[in-house]
Amino acid sequence: MATDTAIVTRPAAPPGPLLSFWRSFRENRSAVLGLAVVIFIILVALLAPVLAPHDPLEQFKGATKLPPFWLDGSDPRFWLGTDAVGRDMLSRLMYGARISLFIGLSVMSVSMVVGITLGLAAAWFSGIIDVIIIRIMDLIMAIPSLVLAILIIAMIGPSLTNTIIAVTIVYLPRYVRLVRASALAELTKDYVTAAKVAGVRPFRLMASTVLPNCLAPLIVQSALGVSDAILEAAGLGFLGLGAQPPTPEWGAMLADTRDLMQSHPWVMAFPGLAILMTVLAINLMGDGLRDALDPRLKRS
Amino acid sequence: MKFVKLLGASLLVSTMLAAGAANAKTLVYCSEGSPENFTPAMNTTGTSLDAARPVYNKLVQFDPGTTTVKPALAESYEISADGMTITFHLRKGVKFHSGVNGFTPTRDLTAEDVIWSFNRQWKPDHPYAKVSGGAYDYFNDMGMPDSLVSIEKGADDLTVVMKLKEPNAPIMANLAMDFATIHSAEYADYLLKKGTPEQFDQMPVGTGSFSFVDYQKDAVIRYKAFEGWAGKPKVDDLVYAITPDPTARYAKMKANECQVMIAPNPADLEAMGKDADINLMSQAGLNIGYLSMNVTKPPFDKVEVRQAIAMAIDRDAILKEVYQGAGQKAKNPIPPTIWSYDDATVDWEYNPEKAKELLKKNGVETLETDLWWMPVQRPYNPNAKRMAEMMQADLAKVGLNAKLVSYEWGEYRKRLQAGEHQLGLLGWTGDNGDPDNFFFLAGCDKDGKPAGQNLSKWCDATFNADMMKARALTNQDERAAIYKEMQKIHHDQLPWLNIAHSTVFEPVRKEVSGYKISPLGAHEFQDVDIKE
Repeated sequence: MATDTAIVTRPAAPPGPLLSFWRSFRENRSAVLGLAVVIFIILVALLAPVLAPHDPLEQFKGATKLPPFWLDGSDPRFWLGTDAVGRDMLSRLMYGARISLFIGLSVMSVSMVVGITLGLAAAWFSGIIDVIIIRIMDLIMAIPSLVLAILIIAMIGPSLTNTIIAVTIVYLPRYVRLVRASALAELTKDYVTAAKVAGVRPFRLMASTVLPNCLAPLIVQSALGVSDAILEAAGLGFLGLGAQPPTPEWGAMLADTRDLMQSHPWVMAFPGLAILMTVLAINLMGDGLRDALDPRLKRS
Repeated sequence: MKFVKLLGASLLVSTMLAAGAANAKTLVYCSEGSPENFTPAMNTTGTSLDAARPVYNKLVQFDPGTTTVKPALAESYEISADGMTITFHLRKGVKFHSGVNGFTPTRDLTAEDVIWSFNRQWKPDHPYAKVSGGAYDYFNDMGMPDSLVSIEKGADDLTVVMKLKEPNAPIMANLAMDFATIHSAEYADYLLKKGTPEQFDQMPVGTGSFSFVDYQKDAVIRYKAFEGWAGKPKVDDLVYAITPDPTARYAKMKANECQVMIAPNPADLEAMGKDADINLMSQAGLNIGYLSMNVTKPPFDKVEVRQAIAMAIDRDAILKEVYQGAGQKAKNPIPPTIWSYDDATVDWEYNPEKAKELLKKNGVETLETDLWWMPVQRPYNPNAKRMAEMMQADLAKVGLNAKLVSYEWGEYRKRLQAGEHQLGLLGWTGDNGDPDNFFFLAGCDKDGKPAGQNLSKWCDATFNADMMKARALTNQDERAAIYKEMQKIHHDQLPWLNIAHSTVFEPVRKEVSGYKISPLGAHEFQDVDIKE
């Protein structure tokens, strides 16, 4: 008897943080679609060696510029046709996803780690260190991002690693400024003062008291940062400053087939579509993340 | 009342002027790049030479569309019996352009102008020798300093006497080349007095059919018709619209924004052939596209390694995919349209297995190397990047890991000429139709130092001695025999791998008449007319 009453009267437990996040996230249909596409692309990228029908670097002599399967003159071996030197388009797109995601994720993680460190340092030390860090970030932001990236590449030489370095530098200020701003706001709050009074050392205070409370905007920023980095890297690849041939990088694939734009449009269309789909999906997902994580935008 | 009349009159005049402007015939040529300057002697690229050509003349010139030399500024010339003295008789009353850069010529062409033009390239103490960098590649590479004794005024103001150290068979063809352009010595003095000698190379004054109007880098060069010794050209204005992208050039052509264009995209040729507004002209090019193998960088110093590379690269596939079949696989360093071409040469076959064996024999199993590709489309190579990617895949099959390298076009040539590469793509379009003009690319000077254009830095004593010997002969059959011998040496020693002789395509609008493709890669507009 007593147990029965207990069940009836106890209010429903509040949902866990993950579940409540998912509930608000799934209300945004396009965000869910974006997430699905992103998961699909990640799976393709991870399983590229298993899924890809051919070696992305192998040139099939005599099978160049073949159209995709729904057009006349296609070859059943190559679903999406072949490029100007006879490499399988589908395989190159799959391996290209690996490269693009790798660039996006590495830029995001490196700039997040560096950004958090510099941002927290600026917020905690204030004074001259704050001024130096923020002025450097302002300097980087003052130059248009692609121009700055080209400048850096021109200095250190074009390669995949250097693309990552250049794009990381270009996108660093966003993270630094975001972390610094949220940390400054948090530092004035009572719980931080309480922690200080309790004798918490500065490092621990910043890392485990302040930082977790700055994470929500940072997660949104980093999701959107991935797509920006992919786009920027594709732009550099298009200009011939990114990954070097024969790496199947989407931007470079687009640039290499520019001369076929009028005679064999599909060769150029596929890498373009791949860039568009990936960036769009990540942006939609990022929007959903922001809606779900930002308490001010949360529906009550 | 008076005011109204005046207004009416001025209105009338302005409408007449406008109508006149509308009737002026303007020919727009879509060119591929910006010239470095307008002095042909300092340039080696077709882009820059094309830009200077409308303005200038030479003593002798090529008949448009051929490699035949005909008199130009020199009305006639005599070569002495020993072949060592050439006397030029200049045309009378040849006028220079007036009004360019504030300069008004006070006299016609004389021997002084001719001597001035050659001395600038020859004598280091010439007042203009060091202006604008002062590198005269053509003059030196054609062996002029070694063969000239003197250039002097003859019996009168219109006679020039050129003395040579030894008979030089290709000299008349060489003098028809752009480096032998005749400038105005008076204009040079005028600028020197003004204190701006470097303007000499930026705002050209010459005797050509078009006078220079203005130039905006990466945008446009304008010329206007000039009635000189050769008569008035058929069009009134000539415009070079600088359009680096071949697809954009084609689009402009379709919209009638330009009437003649250089270097169409091979992939667009089919559509151009079908276009009713466009007349697609073509001609076997006097050119060679090649892969230079730098013999100063091991292991390419070993001839067997170079031979292995020749066997590892599938040139038939390159011809099909890069040239779209519009070319001919090359087995000799000179194109088949030039006399002395050796058809008996047996080309290197595509045989990756044999190449691998040969490499192994020479201790090369895997190798990190570089492969340079030029960033621009050239007549002899429509898409160097694609070619390099195909070669990269072929080389990978025999264990060579080639890294693709490229620089901005000017920088690219400079670095290749300095021999920084291991494997590098380049090519050559003949300047005068003489075989010597191709062989000198693999030649060295008397001291065994490779010539500037000798990218592979290859010096072969027999090859060089032969080249010198052939230059001194005047009998074409004797020369041809020597050149055949040289082709054999080139084939066995492989300082570079011959890739292809391309077919040159030039689309012109149907309205254009009188345009001729030059086998030398020149673009000339003197005789071109355009229907309204």
